[in-house]
Amino acid sequence: MRVVVRSVSELCITVGTVIVLFVVYVLFWTGVKADSVMSDQIDRLQEQWAHGAVRPTGEAAGPAESAPTPGPYETDKPFAIMYIPRLGFTWNKPVLEGTATKTLKKGLGHYAATAQLGQKGNFSVAGHRRTYGDPFKDFPRLRPGDAVVLTDGTTWFTYRIDKGPYKTLPTDIEVIDAVPRKSGYTREGRYLTLTTCDPEWGHSHRLIVWAHLDSTQPVEAGKPEALRR
Amino acid sequence: MYGWIWRHLPGNAWVKALLSLLLVMAVVYVLFNYVFPWAEPLLPFNDVTVDNQ
Repeated sequence: MRVVVRSVSELCITVGTVIVLFVVYVLFWTGVKADSVMSDQIDRLQEQWAHGAVRPTGEAAGPAESAPTPGPYETDKPFAIMYIPRLGFTWNKPVLEGTATKTLKKGLGHYAATAQLGQKGNFSVAGHRRTYGDPFKDFPRLRPGDAVVLTDGTTWFTYRIDKGPYKTLPTDIEVIDAVPRKSGYTREGRYLTLTTCDPEWGHSHRLIVWAHLDSTQPVEAGKPEALRR
Repeated sequence: MYGWIWRHLPGNAWVKALLSLLLVMAVVYVLFNYVFPWAEPLLPFNDVTVDNQ
């Protein structure tokens, strides 16, 4: 009898300890890991860009500064850095190709089926609200007029938010259409959509913001207006 | 369970304490590196996309 009671209580203590450790892992450790992975990704990008290999597209090597349609992004690889001044002056995250779980652990994920950065269509990006560095924790603070700035190493793209945060259901895939119906846009253009989960720790809804391409400038011209302070 | 482990560790009390500490650290390492990364995607925090997954 004593053995049974002792074993059961030891088991309970063990399970409790494992649960506490798991909470520590989810709340704290994923953030620590993600922060280092994300800054690795950004370092890698900046190193690539510094070496002139702006886009590792393979075939399109050579001077292609006027090529309007770049090659496809490599899945699971970073290709741009996003800055959102509203989320913090030092807020910058790598954008990777694809929205697989393992990709989103390393940064923001570009929906592979949507337009490329700065191109006609809807450049759509998903990011974690919580865990893995909490990139979109302050998503509800975004307001129309806020800047979302991206760079692919050659060009600065400044998008301006037009609508959002807009709450919708996870099945509402129309929000990343080329011309999202509920965004208020009526014709084709160069748009940007950001998605994350809502509520903060749940998954019943999604939060969306829509933006349009406001201006572009080559990196040689320095940081865009929105990032100067 | 823990009593059984304690009795089967070699050496005196100090050696046993050290060995149990190492065991605990090994278990935590395995949990953080293999078990939790597997379990975490089963929680809802990963659902940030609108199309699938």
